[in-house]
Amino acid sequence: MVSRTAAAVLLLAVPAAAVLGGLAAPHDPTAPLAAPWQGPGPGHLLGTDALGRDVWSRVLAGGAGLLAVSVAAALAASAAGVAAGLAAGWYGGRTDRVLGSLADLLLAVPSLLLALVVAVALPGHAAVVTATVCGGAPLTLRVVRDAVRAIRGAGYVEAARGRGERGAALLVREVLPAMKGVVTADLGLRVVVALQIASALNVLGFGPSPPAPDWALMLRENMPGVGVNPWAVAAPALAIGLTTVALVLAVHLVTARAPAARTRKDTRVGT
Amino acid sequence: MTVPTGAAPAGAAPRHRAWAPLYGALTAAVRALLLLVAVSAVVFAATALLPGDAAEIRASPGATTEEVRALRAELGQEAGPLRLYADWAGGVLRGDPGVSLVNGRPVLDAVAQRLPATATLVGAALALAAPAMLLLGWWAGTARRGRGAATALLTGAAAVPTAVTAAGLAALLSGVLGLVPAVSLLPPGQAPVHSPELLVLPVLSMALPTALFGGGLLAGAVADTASRPHVADARRRGRSPWAVAAVDVLPFLLAPFLRVLAVSAGGLIAAATVVETLFGYPGLGSLLVSSIASRDTPVIQAVAVSAAAVVLAGTALADAVAGGTDPRGRAW
Repeated sequence: MVSRTAAAVLLLAVPAAAVLGGLAAPHDPTAPLAAPWQGPGPGHLLGTDALGRDVWSRVLAGGAGLLAVSVAAALAASAAGVAAGLAAGWYGGRTDRVLGSLADLLLAVPSLLLALVVAVALPGHAAVVTATVCGGAPLTLRVVRDAVRAIRGAGYVEAARGRGERGAALLVREVLPAMKGVVTADLGLRVVVALQIASALNVLGFGPSPPAPDWALMLRENMPGVGVNPWAVAAPALAIGLTTVALVLAVHLVTARAPAARTRKDTRVGT
Repeated sequence: MTVPTGAAPAGAAPRHRAWAPLYGALTAAVRALLLLVAVSAVVFAATALLPGDAAEIRASPGATTEEVRALRAELGQEAGPLRLYADWAGGVLRGDPGVSLVNGRPVLDAVAQRLPATATLVGAALALAAPAMLLLGWWAGTARRGRGAATALLTGAAAVPTAVTAAGLAALLSGVLGLVPAVSLLPPGQAPVHSPELLVLPVLSMALPTALFGGGLLAGAVADTASRPHVADARRRGRSPWAVAAVDVLPFLLAPFLRVLAVSAGGLIAAATVVETLFGYPGLGSLLVSSIASRDTPVIQAVAVSAAAVVLAGTALADAVAGGTDPRGRAW
């Protein structure tokens, strides 16, 4: 119960801070206000960046976009993976083999490399979604497939079949609810990996364009001044780092509570 | 008496067991080759067939549609997609991946010039991460109490994006402590080994997440192996902990270790794009990023396909070797 509450608090606190942070920013995050590369001091809690903008305000405002893209990408990956996993686990046989080999094919190349290739043709956020779906859905597929196979012969599923429930209706009404724990924990890991891909693409300059505040973009923008105002780099780094660790911790608390909901602990891009 | 479950009974071995590793290696190679063809087609499709091509980028601002079309014809991008793919794949196989659309230099030259820098980076990061991940996996896998917490710590720390680790290390080692330069610009034509201080930040920021990630994956294998009956047997016979580790546990870890190394190498190649760009390090990763920004398709295709080739070759090699080193499947 304690772990469940802790997970819920973590899961609510992180997006709340990222979304509401922009409203709490003391200064306009895009307006030059003071001399460049000032250290932390009164008026500017974390100092200023190359253009004299307030770093603290930019950190407060810079998480919403990154988090929104990551969550959208993770939801897409999870939806695709759950649908394919239900089909593979329920129908088995050839469906299972075809979907399984497709998953292996998609996992052969690191997602970040795929994201970069897609970024040639599509805008950054579309590249994040595509790469997260290609790299994440196969992992969700495997987890859901195994879970479906485990409950396929369960009494209540047999009973539903006996009542005449068939195909998609049976899967959605009887099988899917039993996957809740597995899918929730897996969704958390998909967000973590999406966050890695999104921050990589934003650092490389394929995400939001310059005046916009963005945690990942700030890392690159402020690197030249790291010797003068290290906080301009350290603060956005801490923001992304804490967000990912909070997510992984929440997933761990959920899976520790329900051992049946164990998922693959692939928390890095390129696996 | 208990029979060690790890070793297969000799009499039960199939007759063609001696050929099994060779067959496995062949399957792995064929699989990798087919995947590479698929990857090259995807890369080619993404770079060559989708909107926003080099002609539009290269044309002077305000150029008319006719002028852009003429430039496209001059760059040889007017033929059908299959024909273009066949021409390109044939060129790559002959060792001629074309010329850069941006500066007209042969792609092979640009790649050859940048390759040593990235090879040094990835090699050094892997050399640092490999022993570290074994130690971390050992620590987490054999922790008496709180093994779950130790593994969770490793996976949680490994989940932090590479750019964040890199920026955090730069802020600490360069910004606060002033130990190393934050920018790793190599003097042109100089090998990276001549300026080791420039390698510290890029190598550390690639090795650290890899070691944590590999340690988290290996912890499970360590725990599984340590709980095998033959390990408990050896302990009861009074074998020293170090001997148990070296003789009874390590051989079982070789196969998972090789696979984790192959996956890590793939991740490192992808991470090189971020780390090189962040530190201004002139390698293949920053070449890929800058050529994507300028839509220099021949360079993107060459770098992306060779990166995928290295990743796939690594996985295939690890699969083949791991199949031969697993003590459970040994024919002798």
